[in-house]
Amino acid sequence: MKALNEWDSKQRLGDSLPRPAETLATSSAQAQEFAATVNGPIVAKASGVAHKTDAGLVRLGLGPTDVGDVWDDLAAAGDGTVLLAEQIDAELELIVGGYRDKSFGPLVTIGIGGIAAEIFSDIVAILAPPEDGEVAEAVSQLAGRRLLEGIRGGPPVDLAALGRIVEAVARLLCSDPAVAEIDCNPVMVRSGIPIVADALVVLNEQE
Amino acid sequence: MSIDGLFTPRSIAVYGASATDSSRLGNTLLENAASGGSDVLAVHPSADVIDGIQAVASLNRPVDLVLVSVPGHRVESAVADAAAAGAKTGIVLSSGFGETGEEGRGAQDRIAGIAGAAGMRLVGPNCMGVVSHLGDGRWLNGSYFWATPDTPGGLSFVSQSGAFGGMFFSHLRRSGLGLSRFLSVGNAADITATDVLGWLGEDPQTTAIGMFIEGIDDGRRFVEVARATAARKPVVVLKAGKMPAGAKAAASHTGSMAGNHEAVQAGLRRAGVIEAADSDSFFDAMDTAAVGLTGTVVRNIAIVTISGGPSVLAADTAERIGLTLPKLGNATMAQLRPLVPAFAALGNPFDLTPQCPADNFIPAIESVYADEAVEGIVAINCGLDIAQFGTGVARGVARTGKPTTSFVLDAPAVEAELAAAGVLRFASPERAVGALSLGIGE
Repeated sequence: MKALNEWDSKQRLGDSLPRPAETLATSSAQAQEFAATVNGPIVAKASGVAHKTDAGLVRLGLGPTDVGDVWDDLAAAGDGTVLLAEQIDAELELIVGGYRDKSFGPLVTIGIGGIAAEIFSDIVAILAPPEDGEVAEAVSQLAGRRLLEGIRGGPPVDLAALGRIVEAVARLLCSDPAVAEIDCNPVMVRSGIPIVADALVVLNEQE
Repeated sequence: MSIDGLFTPRSIAVYGASATDSSRLGNTLLENAASGGSDVLAVHPSADVIDGIQAVASLNRPVDLVLVSVPGHRVESAVADAAAAGAKTGIVLSSGFGETGEEGRGAQDRIAGIAGAAGMRLVGPNCMGVVSHLGDGRWLNGSYFWATPDTPGGLSFVSQSGAFGGMFFSHLRRSGLGLSRFLSVGNAADITATDVLGWLGEDPQTTAIGMFIEGIDDGRRFVEVARATAARKPVVVLKAGKMPAGAKAAASHTGSMAGNHEAVQAGLRRAGVIEAADSDSFFDAMDTAAVGLTGTVVRNIAIVTISGGPSVLAADTAERIGLTLPKLGNATMAQLRPLVPAFAALGNPFDLTPQCPADNFIPAIESVYADEAVEGIVAINCGLDIAQFGTGVARGVARTGKPTTSFVLDAPAVEAELAAAGVLRFASPERAVGALSLGIGE
């Protein structure tokens, strides 16, 4: 198994993937330039490092001037580049994934994310590629489905937008046999719109 | 190659009956096979007759079905003998194959190869066999089961477990529902549960299909066949082995969290089959499928009862699974008021109370059936054996055709009325409600 870095993973998933405003900066100056274009806080992530959150290589709540301060640490810890993105203030986190079952072939999963995800394991799978109506049907099977119907008067999750993430995962999985597993984790839901904040594509050893 | 011979053979040969010890499983099999009136003979190295049935040393005609119950190490030669004679289908009941490990797996592949080369289709090994209604009350019992159903009907059942077949037969005896076909597929060296599902889908005698599955090897083909079948008749699936075997080595969160059951459920949802959560709901679903209730979509139900507590449990279940208990209409309430005691609340659940005059049960229950807001009824009666309660339900069903299920305890006269009207009885108030909701799934 070989894991692609976040930036490459997102490239593989294609242009239709809803993402935050983000860039892969190769210099501190470029990072600061990007930061100046973003309204609100920025997140900076070391590139090419597995489990970067656990390793303390994700820095949150940065302003345009902070970016230069974290550059050296993050660039040195990773592959020399740093991924900068608009920080998403989410009302809900989801996980959209993809994997292959020995018998049923490629599948896309939709699950409730966040810190409780591993405890509740609230996941529903769809045979890839999905057919019309299957994303909505799968969501209705989640134990936490009411979380997607709008929290405290907020908007419900845009299922068409969620469907575009599911389709991007399905398309990559079905078109490239070298792809073993895909994570879009977390998918941050902001004002009902799901945005893929982080992604991971895992390839079979052969590639 | 057709597998018709498995279910409607005109000629059968049995391998494995003993000439000296009639208590052997093979002798049970021979006796069972001969009991259906098909043309049966035994294959035995030395005997001319076994238990009154003609025996030959080597099969000398192309029978529709051979049943093999010899010890594991002799299966290969038995299958070769049958294949050489041109037998069309075979069921190997003997054990000691893929279920035992590598060596057994090799032997299993060999017998499948021998049969395949001769164009003979094979069920098993390691299975309980076949039971099939041949028409006119004649049965094929090509199984080890000594007590098989004798009521013909439209239910068919394909099982990856022989023992669960025994549970199914026992349920049929209790429920009084009729059987069309049963096949235990065992290790599925050749014919898989999917193949059988496809055949049952085309079988005019089969009106509803149950499946017990432990594993599906051909997921996408299964989905395709199940989808085509479920479009024609209800298919109810019970999948055993739902829990993940443990954490797997996986590089992603998705890979580590994914269990095979999510994949199976994805397939079952796309196929449009009914997935039963456990054996209780499987049998409930088979019952509703047998009487044609699963095709109807019921969302607004009324609970008609004389038993307070059980009907509250039923109402709780209805809410949990997304059914609605609508308020009875004003016209209905106006009809009900003079029929029930003044202290009886005209709610839903509608509790007529045990003090309700016996003859008023019939018009009162009929009024609830006539209410336009009510699409289906659950009748609950614990121990108040006033036949009119059942008569009211029976007349309501006859007048309106509204789907009805019931929970009746210690009220034989009521039960008899319901049975005569074809109203299913379930083992608990919760299950009576759950069965009514099968049309919409849980």
